[in-house]
Amino acid sequence: MTLSRRGFLNAAAVGATGTFAADMTRLDTLRHSAWADEVKTQGKRVILLWLAGGASQLETFDPKPGRPTGGPYRAIPTSATGVHISELLPKMAARIQQTTAIVRSLNTKNADHGGGAVIMETGRIKDPGIEYPDLGAVCAKELGRLDSAVPDYVSMYTSTEGRRKGGSGFLGSRYAPMFLSESMQPENIRRLESISDLDHQDRLALRDLLAKKFTQNRHSDSLGSHTQAYQRVRGLMASEKLFDIEQEPAEMRAKYGPTQFGQQCLIARRLVEAGVPFVKVARAWWDSHGENFETHRELCADLDHSMSVLLDDLKDRGLLEHTLVLTFGEFGRTPGINSSLGRDHFAAAWSATLSGCGVRGGACYGKTDEDGHKVADGEVGAGDLFATILTALGIDPNKEYHVGARPVPLSDFGSKPIKDVLV
Amino acid sequence: MASDPTKLQKTKDIGIPSIAMCVARVPNSGRLIFGSSDFKLHEIDVFAEKPQPTTFGGEGHQSYVTGVVLTAPNIAVSASYDGQLIWWDIEKREPTRKVKAHELWIRRLVISPDGKTISSVADDMQCKLWNAETGEMLRQFSDHKPITPHDFPSMLHAVTFSADGKFIATGDKVGHVAIWETTSGSKVATVEAPGLYTWDPKQRRHSIGGIRALAFSPDNKLIAVGGIGQIGNIDHLDAPARIEIFDWQKGERKHELNNDKFKALVEDLVFDPSGQWLLSSGGAGDGFVTFTNVETGKTIHQDKLPMHVHQLALNESSDTLFAVGHHKIVVCEFKADPPPADPAEAAKS
Amino acid sequence: MRWILRINFAALWLLTIAVASNGAELPSADLPIEQVIDQFVQQRLDAEKVAAAPQADDANLLRRLMLDVAGRIPTSEEAKGFVANGSAAKRVELVDRLLASPDFVWHQRNEFDRMLLPNKPNDGDFRKYLLWAVKENRSWEAMFRDMLVGDEADENRKHALTFIKSRARDLDDMLNDTAIVFFGVNVTCAKCHDHPLTPDWKQHHYFGMASFFSRTYVTKKNLLAERPFGEVKFKSKRKDDTKGEQTAKFEFLTGSIIDEPVVERSADDLKKIEETIKAAMQKDDAPPPEKPAFSPREKLVEVALRSEDNRFFARNFVNRVWDRFFGRGIVHPVDQLHASNAPSHPELLDWLTRDTVAHGYDLKRLIRGIVLSQAYSRSSEWTAGALPPESGLFAVAKVKPLTPRQYALSLLIATHNPTQWPLLDQAEQWATRREQLENASNGWSGQFEMPGENFQVAVDEALLFNNNKRVEDEFLRDSSDRLVGHLKTLSDNQAVIETAIQSICSRPPRDDERTTLDEFLKSRSDRVTAIQQLVWVLLTGPEMRFSF
Repeated sequence: MTLSRRGFLNAAAVGATGTFAADMTRLDTLRHSAWADEVKTQGKRVILLWLAGGASQLETFDPKPGRPTGGPYRAIPTSATGVHISELLPKMAARIQQTTAIVRSLNTKNADHGGGAVIMETGRIKDPGIEYPDLGAVCAKELGRLDSAVPDYVSMYTSTEGRRKGGSGFLGSRYAPMFLSESMQPENIRRLESISDLDHQDRLALRDLLAKKFTQNRHSDSLGSHTQAYQRVRGLMASEKLFDIEQEPAEMRAKYGPTQFGQQCLIARRLVEAGVPFVKVARAWWDSHGENFETHRELCADLDHSMSVLLDDLKDRGLLEHTLVLTFGEFGRTPGINSSLGRDHFAAAWSATLSGCGVRGGACYGKTDEDGHKVADGEVGAGDLFATILTALGIDPNKEYHVGARPVPLSDFGSKPIKDVLV
Repeated sequence: MASDPTKLQKTKDIGIPSIAMCVARVPNSGRLIFGSSDFKLHEIDVFAEKPQPTTFGGEGHQSYVTGVVLTAPNIAVSASYDGQLIWWDIEKREPTRKVKAHELWIRRLVISPDGKTISSVADDMQCKLWNAETGEMLRQFSDHKPITPHDFPSMLHAVTFSADGKFIATGDKVGHVAIWETTSGSKVATVEAPGLYTWDPKQRRHSIGGIRALAFSPDNKLIAVGGIGQIGNIDHLDAPARIEIFDWQKGERKHELNNDKFKALVEDLVFDPSGQWLLSSGGAGDGFVTFTNVETGKTIHQDKLPMHVHQLALNESSDTLFAVGHHKIVVCEFKADPPPADPAEAAKS
Repeated sequence: MRWILRINFAALWLLTIAVASNGAELPSADLPIEQVIDQFVQQRLDAEKVAAAPQADDANLLRRLMLDVAGRIPTSEEAKGFVANGSAAKRVELVDRLLASPDFVWHQRNEFDRMLLPNKPNDGDFRKYLLWAVKENRSWEAMFRDMLVGDEADENRKHALTFIKSRARDLDDMLNDTAIVFFGVNVTCAKCHDHPLTPDWKQHHYFGMASFFSRTYVTKKNLLAERPFGEVKFKSKRKDDTKGEQTAKFEFLTGSIIDEPVVERSADDLKKIEETIKAAMQKDDAPPPEKPAFSPREKLVEVALRSEDNRFFARNFVNRVWDRFFGRGIVHPVDQLHASNAPSHPELLDWLTRDTVAHGYDLKRLIRGIVLSQAYSRSSEWTAGALPPESGLFAVAKVKPLTPRQYALSLLIATHNPTQWPLLDQAEQWATRREQLENASNGWSGQFEMPGENFQVAVDEALLFNNNKRVEDEFLRDSSDRLVGHLKTLSDNQAVIETAIQSICSRPPRDDERTTLDEFLKSRSDRVTAIQQLVWVLLTGPEMRFSF
């Protein structure tokens, strides 16, 4: 390495900081966020355990033991007085009071995989005229830092059935997820062997230096995002190890266990610990039209173990009070048991859970009727659930984005947070 | 032979409010005791003019009743997902004894041909033998791993006695069969039928299937293993009903039978006493019944049944079947035309 | 939907075409388009006391024109040739050459494609139709008819129907996308109820539009068909609604209503027709259903294009073409063509609309006028103050992100050995070459995001350029057919710098670039690697990523 090459690096580094500060101011004005809001959301994170295909509420958080719709599994008491959940979730049962609130009265009306997924990703029904951002993108924008060296929205979906990437809609690609499907190693995050690390840094620095002249007198947010994207590259590359669970002690890996979902929960913990504001781990595929009970025996064991270990681990690290862990998918499953001993798609009365940050542990909101066909008390929609999630994170759900002339509140028009599950 | 599978016809089709998971028949009668998804035992006389189930009372099971056997003229024993075995006075329809038998869900209960021993299998992967009269546990054994090779909880669905009672076979979710000597509890052979277990590593990332039914041939030489073939879309029971027949002493597979007509799960298997045919039944959306020539593996006759069948009972002459399942009980006869000059047959009818 | 459009129909349009919407008299129809554009744009600049940015230099203008009209950057020969050309008419000549070139056909096809089938890109058959239509210089009016009414029997035109067929499963998709793309109106919001504050945009407008599409279906054999009967019913979702269920009329956005002739049908007839339709939808071998005497889609095209109702169709066309070249519509956003969203230059929009209708929706004519205007050819640099004036003044050229296709084609051109392009006068060779480039760009164009409103470059893209093997293998390869392969044969650093910048940025290097890059090259002992880095630095720069 020669002196002049060092020179490139330094000159560009200084330049980059300057440009960057300017961009920050400009983009920050778009965020309409008051300083007080910033403090409220500081350091908040979300892990969404997306139960793709539709988990059965009856075999998880809203059992109906002894009813014709109840299935064979018993309900067991949890650490929260009077709250019972399925015996398939014994580890979670021991943690409800300490960490988790259950919402049993979701009616999201659409029992089609695609349509249901859109509703539960964005908190509202699809609108052909506008592309809404999903929860991950909204959280990335509201909780992330523009200059973040780590990704701000990571989405894992390794099974192929129903695979959905999610998207940032009108918030733009800056908030699009880093999507991991085939491999847990993000694409293009590792330097090619054909270029040395120094050369890799040098050429980026030289690039910034030359680009400055172009960007100086041209004003465009798109242009700013291009500069930023390149400025984030080195930071993101440094986060490569976050995706590598071999970095964890063997004992910790053993705790999370051998399943892919467990391992992805461990990655999620590593990510939020490093400051990634939103991580989605999709566990597919729960669509048990046949053999519902056997399918849930397997998948609930995976969920129960992985989620419990994740919550414990977050708690041990002091992260749980800042991290909201969610479970839901596109819908639940029918109370009726079909002749293949399966349950079909059902969106009229199903459950979600919220754990950790901002959540009143042990709260159990809403009721379904005795056979689980309808919501009997406290009906809420996807918008209300999203308003609850945002409120738990210290984000004002009524805050509006502006798309052209059109105001779009963060959670759907008319939605309200479920106060009973919030601290 | 008094039976002729080609003459199969449905003679009764009775609706019931629950899903019947298991059945035992009171000898020489149309009285069936069946266990159900309503956690209860019921009795019904299917030959009555208007068959009506009568429900057993008392403090019974806490979950689906998945096994029932008759151990004495007036005694039934039932098994359930609640892990209990319950002895019942049939006449009074009251429980007389409860035994906490397994840690996890009991999947099947069978009785030895001499009526003295009953055997239960459960998801704790244990096979347990019980004194049918006293309820005392005689021994337990297992050759079944609690966790599948894909790190999920395994299940132990199937158990059966040989016709002479000397052997017991157990079969699990991943297609592993162990054969045991009843008196000693020692393992004498194993058979593998992995084709009955579908693991989807990519698309949906869980499994389906497993061994659901086992039966020894009357001469003990063969064991039939039933379930469902490899499924593409494991959201549904979407593969041919599948039976594998092994000469287990030689360790050879004699037949691998994928049903050409029915996509379904084989829930029960029964050999004809002469060993000529094997009766299989089960279902997915609907049900089916298939008679297979044991020697050739060819289908002798098969037909649709109006419900997913969970268990069968045969009559003494093996020419009438009683099937229980999804909200229905069905009776089918498959009697050979009587030879006209046979006085014995004439007397019987 | 709780948010609603505010449309004041009365203020939208005056039928007297010589007079603008605001009552002022429009300039003569005989004036050149570019002159009228500049007149109105300047008027507003003067009124706002804003001095526009100076005109872009030749190299900048050429690059912009090439990207906008041909969909790609110029080769270095094209760029050098244009700058060296001393003729006063060179801009007009270039524009006319480009509009007649195969490049225009491909690019216009791609632009239509992303506007018309944004969620189903690269539908082969539809793209074939678009290519044919552009080659034929088919008018927008005719294309609209091809896409909505069409003709399954016409080899060239039948695939235009993909526009409707690909949306036929969902009535909302058909009507919303048609309204957005062809009329510049997003009617979605009126689906649920009338707006309480906007008396003139009612639910019946939405369902009126819906009724034109509600009979449309696709048969099992993928033929587009219409039922001979069927009504759209709707009900307000407002709790205080007293009207109950209403039947929608065939009502266009302008309020014009089409009456359907009453046809008496016996119960038997109805049953037969239903059976035929059912068969057509379910069976491969069913005969194609008979075309009904009254076709709502045909009526929609008829009403939308007739002179008393064509204001949405015509203004939308002008506004969308303008938006493409200026990066902002005269009415913006382009799907908000309504009274409370005033045009930046109302008279200009009126004049251009009148001109477009009078000349049969001739796309090339409109493009030619736009790109010859001074408003179009301003610099994109703003040095007169900290922030540029609002974009609706068109005082400074907008920096526009390239579409995936433009970017991919341009990367391929920039990294090709610059001495190996066909010469400018070898038109036929270039036509073949362009088609090859179009095919070669497919893979890369799938890697980039389609820019929309407020487009942001994702960090994925930066990671791709930094660490992807294909970038190294294809753009930085040092074989003789590549730019790097050519550069490594040049021994003089300045020649390397000049050739690289000319090839990638279509201009000569600036002095500071000469110095910096020379220093960089000198500091490296491994020359090929150094050249690769230099090329990478230029390829990943904003000058390559944006049109400016």
